[in-house]
Amino acid sequence: MAGRNTYKEDEILETPFDYHHLLRAGSYIKPYSKKMILAFLISAVGGILALFSPMITQKALDDVVPAKDYRMLFILGGVLIGVFILSAIFATLRMRIMIKVSQGIIYDIRKDIFKHLQDLPFQYYDDRPHGKILIRVVNYVNSVSDMLSNGLINIILEVMNLLFIVVFMFIVDVKLSIVVVCGVPILAVFMLWIKSKQRKAWQNVSNKNSNLNAYLQENIVGARVTQIFAREEENAEIFSGLSDRCRKAWMWAVRYTNLVWPGIDTISVLVRAAIYIFALLVFVNGHYTVGTILAITSYAARFWQPIMNLGNIFNNFINNIAYLERIFETIDEPVTVKDADDAVEMKPIEGAVSFENVTFAYEEGKNVLHNVSFTVEPGESVALVGPTGAGKSTIVSLLSRFYNIERGRVLIDGQDISKVTLHSLRSQMGIMLQDSFIFSGTIKDNILYGKLDATDEEIEKAAETVCADAFIRNMPEGYMTEVKERGNVLSQGQKQLISFARTLISDPRILILDEATSSIDVQTEKALQQGLNAMLKGRTSCIIAHRLSTIKNCDKIMYIDEGGIVECGTHDELMQKRGAYYQLYTSQMDDIA
Amino acid sequence: MEKKTFPRTRIQWLWDNMKGKRFLFIVALFGTVLYNAFQLTIPFFSQKVVDEFIAGENAAANLANNRDRFLMLIGMMVGITVLRALVVYADCMAYEHVSQSVLYKVRNILFHKIEYQDMRFYNEYRTGDLMTRVTGDLDAIRHMVAWVVRMIIEAFSLMTATLVYFFSMNVRMTLWLMAIAPFILIIIRVFRIKVGPMHALLREKLAGMNTSAQENISGNRVVKAFAREDYEIKKFDESNRDYSETNQKTQMVWLKFYPYIESCANLMPVVLMVVGGTYLIRGELTMGQYVAFSGLIWALANPMRMLGNIMNEFQRFSAASAKDMEIYYSEPVIVDAPDAIDKPDRLKGEIEFKNVSFKFEDGKYPVLKNISFKAEPGQTVAIMGETGCGKTSLIHLIPRFYEPTSGEVLVDGINVNRYKLRQLRKNIGLATQDVLLYSDTIDGNIAFGDSHISKEEVLKFARYSQASEFIAKMPEGYDTIIGERGVGLSGGQKQRISLARALAVRPSILILDDTTSAVDMETEKQIQNSLRKLDFNCTKIIIAQRISTTKVADKIIVLKDGVIAEQGTHQELIAQKGYYYELVKLQAGEEVV
Repeated sequence: MAGRNTYKEDEILETPFDYHHLLRAGSYIKPYSKKMILAFLISAVGGILALFSPMITQKALDDVVPAKDYRMLFILGGVLIGVFILSAIFATLRMRIMIKVSQGIIYDIRKDIFKHLQDLPFQYYDDRPHGKILIRVVNYVNSVSDMLSNGLINIILEVMNLLFIVVFMFIVDVKLSIVVVCGVPILAVFMLWIKSKQRKAWQNVSNKNSNLNAYLQENIVGARVTQIFAREEENAEIFSGLSDRCRKAWMWAVRYTNLVWPGIDTISVLVRAAIYIFALLVFVNGHYTVGTILAITSYAARFWQPIMNLGNIFNNFINNIAYLERIFETIDEPVTVKDADDAVEMKPIEGAVSFENVTFAYEEGKNVLHNVSFTVEPGESVALVGPTGAGKSTIVSLLSRFYNIERGRVLIDGQDISKVTLHSLRSQMGIMLQDSFIFSGTIKDNILYGKLDATDEEIEKAAETVCADAFIRNMPEGYMTEVKERGNVLSQGQKQLISFARTLISDPRILILDEATSSIDVQTEKALQQGLNAMLKGRTSCIIAHRLSTIKNCDKIMYIDEGGIVECGTHDELMQKRGAYYQLYTSQMDDIA
Repeated sequence: MEKKTFPRTRIQWLWDNMKGKRFLFIVALFGTVLYNAFQLTIPFFSQKVVDEFIAGENAAANLANNRDRFLMLIGMMVGITVLRALVVYADCMAYEHVSQSVLYKVRNILFHKIEYQDMRFYNEYRTGDLMTRVTGDLDAIRHMVAWVVRMIIEAFSLMTATLVYFFSMNVRMTLWLMAIAPFILIIIRVFRIKVGPMHALLREKLAGMNTSAQENISGNRVVKAFAREDYEIKKFDESNRDYSETNQKTQMVWLKFYPYIESCANLMPVVLMVVGGTYLIRGELTMGQYVAFSGLIWALANPMRMLGNIMNEFQRFSAASAKDMEIYYSEPVIVDAPDAIDKPDRLKGEIEFKNVSFKFEDGKYPVLKNISFKAEPGQTVAIMGETGCGKTSLIHLIPRFYEPTSGEVLVDGINVNRYKLRQLRKNIGLATQDVLLYSDTIDGNIAFGDSHISKEEVLKFARYSQASEFIAKMPEGYDTIIGERGVGLSGGQKQRISLARALAVRPSILILDDTTSAVDMETEKQIQNSLRKLDFNCTKIIIAQRISTTKVADKIIVLKDGVIAEQGTHQELIAQKGYYYELVKLQAGEEVV
């Protein structure tokens, strides 16, 4: 747990940035390459079209006006309008394509990151605040789309533009052109300096925002805890501290970002001044004509325009790469629990479970289970009892392969579960977790989660089995009542019943109940048990419970402590043994009697 | 979507939150005007250089005799450029500074608002909604101050300066050019009407996507338990696609208007050519004037072009700020009474319910009916009852999470609504059913309610709640970071930390809402023991299912459908042979009977 991250600390970026990220980003652009080429061509044609407008005005001034030809003047006006409308249409077309492309890229990246998140094991979610995962999926992806779509096209266009101008400029005069181009190394040094500062600065911004998001999410979820401890002020102060760090990081980063535009602009005017000075004072022998000087200055101005645009694009790249890195980091996060290459589908489960010398550790060197072995016959019910933290939940979570084990094997129907696909395995298991997470949506939706195509009758039957039908019907809109993940519509016990129904409706071959009824009152539990018993016939079940009266009738009871099985047997056997279970049971009975 | 009204308009709201930075903001606005003025003067100097030393009649002579003036002009050109660069930089930084301040301020206020809200609010907003408001929506507001405002000023100052200059040259020509402006304004107005709702919709979709991702991340255990990854991917894909498509549609609205705005702006040079040409022919305009018009026509046309884009951004701001103002101006219903009594001292802890009835605002049925009971300081009251019978609602009335519909809840003989919320809640330690821990160290979690307590005290409270043993076994003991919601800990371990956290505030009223449900019986017994031996006086209200917990209570209250069905001590209730008696029988199993 040493690697666990909180809102207080930045996440260290393990991979140093290299331009592979950009190449990789290229893979997202690839599906749209045809569209982008089309957009590029349209822009190019539009650009060429725009070149006609100065020629038309030129003609009007040079020929038509002196000739006092009103008719021609209006005709030229009409032509000019035509040219402009055409170029507006071209621009619109390009934008139309690029909107689709950029939205497509965002959609694709987001889809990939989300898809990968589904494959990541519990450990990933356990190790960092959820707000930090969320910000990557939602906020960061938004930031990078423009850079990947329009950024790329603009680079090509600007570079081509630049090449044209350079060629024309050199044709006019080589020496003066060299003066113009001399500005470029200065600019390059300037930009490299900025880049070196900026990358760190924007990484910092992304870290600080991520911390803020983490704290924000926890506080929204835990608002009630904050209120009961009357800690609103303290938390607001912490938040404001995080918020301030965001502000400072941002201000630090824009110190450099905002330099780019004025910097390039200044260099461009310096170059123009240099042209005048060199043309008139230094290269005096060259005898420059007025036309040459004017041409060169006008080209110089045009030369710097694309460079300025490129500078802005570059700037944008650097800012967004901080986000891109994080996105790729998530997509690259290794999936530790995954299907083996030769994984087969798990056949319909009969229900024989066996652990063979299973050793497991959440963290290397800290074994939670040592050499655990046991077998369960199909249809048997097994209870796991023992002190909290003994490893009961761990054992049942290994059955669904939520974690990889260190040593040993977990077998279901004789099949090593690490050799079957996760989906075929887990979809046959019904696990009722300790913490009953309810999604926002209707109660019906929440039960449906266990079986997406369940009919209303099935839903009601599942709810009846767990004694939830009555209270659900009493709600304002019955099964269609909207619940929110943090809302007060349901009590904790009711949430537990609903998640119970959700588990039952999935018709699992092996049912695992991890403290499934801890928040439910004893009478409801009793009623529930009867329905459950009917359902459990023929199915293997693993039950973790503290109230021993609920598990007394199980086929097998295992007493777990210190990561191992201390005792195993039926209730009567264990009672006769007068060991740990006996102690536990009698002390519970003493308390009640 | 209903339209909400706020006490201030959006712009007023922005202005309110600019307090302290308003002067800087106004300076920044002037800065924008200033650098745009510089923008217009630089061509003036380079024009002078060209006229006097390059293209003019006496250029060669001037260059030979007046080298100082040449250098001065160049110097002016460079000087003003550098000056302009500095102004631009300072100005951008000023906008950044102001926008970050606004962001910082509003973000903190929103957080504060969220922290202090009551349950009504949390039923209305999903976590993802609130996250979006504090992140994505706020960013649109930052963008407004940092960029959109600057662009507006830039457009108008450029346009105004140019218009003044144009009018001074030729009024009729200028009026002709201006004739296009109304068309553009009408187009922009129509655009505004069309795009406004799209932006509002887009914010909704963003929040929807955020929620979808957020719940998936929070519920990752459930997702995996049901092997519902594919379903989740599909579900997220819908909101992802929805957002992406709405985004496209919004931009397409802009695209629909863009060609018209672009063409209208481009009409300006056409009008100049045709009308200007006519005037030239008639001799009503000099060639010099024409050149001047044509040289600056962009300064009129570009702002017109920009207006459309600015309107788009403004609508985005408008939609986002409406979302944020909703939270900003929201007020919790449960607040300190204006004449709340100030009682900073520790309360004695006497609790009395007098004929309390309670019903949720949107509820069909009352949750509690005519509840009356009294707990003397230091007493232990146990509350029992079926799932959903109102136990949690009842205890939530004590810290005033809800207000009773009728009747009174008294603490130390004073109605809880007469206390200051903070002072009241500081006296209450509540360990909730749904344990919410923070991603922080164990130490930090226990000291959540009182961050000033010493390490020794943290240890002591951990001992009271029987948590010290398992904490000691953890790799880093009390410095072990536990993940969000306490992942990595078993249910019973989480509950014990939550109990330690509640004890650590040394409350005069300790409320345990089924806090030991996941704790094994043995440990629970020890917890009960230490609760009896606390080193501070404290009234305990304990919701429990287990008889072992309730039997030692001074008073047991059995709730049934919101009314008190039975009330008395263990012995008394057993003698009554009612619900409680049945429970005892149930839990003890058949042997006891």
